[in-house]
Amino acid sequence: MDCEKFCKLWDEVVKKFECVITENKKDAYNEYLLNNHSIRFSEMGKYVPNMEVKFPKTDLDLWSLNNSIKVVLNNHLLFLSKIELQIPFKLFLGSEKDFEDAKFLYELFKDKLDNSLMEQFNERLKTTKLFNRICKK
Amino acid sequence: MQKIVLPNIDLRELEEQKRENSEERMEFIKKYAEWIKKKSNREWSSQQAKIID
Repeated sequence: MDCEKFCKLWDEVVKKFECVITENKKDAYNEYLLNNHSIRFSEMGKYVPNMEVKFPKTDLDLWSLNNSIKVVLNNHLLFLSKIELQIPFKLFLGSEKDFEDAKFLYELFKDKLDNSLMEQFNERLKTTKLFNRICKK
Repeated sequence: MQKIVLPNIDLRELEEQKRENSEERMEFIKKYAEWIKKKSNREWSSQQAKIID
């Protein structure tokens, strides 16, 4: 995304939200996003909850964007990365909270998942043992 | 059914990304703590309570 397009997005977002990292859109673009750092937006006057925004860096980031799933929440359309990737990736991240999240997602979606796809991600991220230990038990 | 082509996964790159994300999160927590110090207990705790509840 070039700077001009980002500035248009910024101008729209700051009508309802504020960036808690920097108030300057050029800084947000040049100092943060172009250097692979994220920025965060929250509702005016609040710090939490906030939405993290960053540019894709790895092939996996791009794949997530290109293979996103559509979710309608309160009549708003959201794009999320595939649950079959989210579960192995959380196991890869490795904190207790990530493990809890992975287990929660698996329990919630286990009947709807493409198990072959998730297996392949577990193999590539080397999380198969963790998956069996944490999600399957 | 459309065949899904998986991405290249470089584990060293992802480990590096994980480390950077962790540092970034720590920076964010420091900024959040600074923000909390400037606000009244009622204000920051009511925002936290909404998330927890």
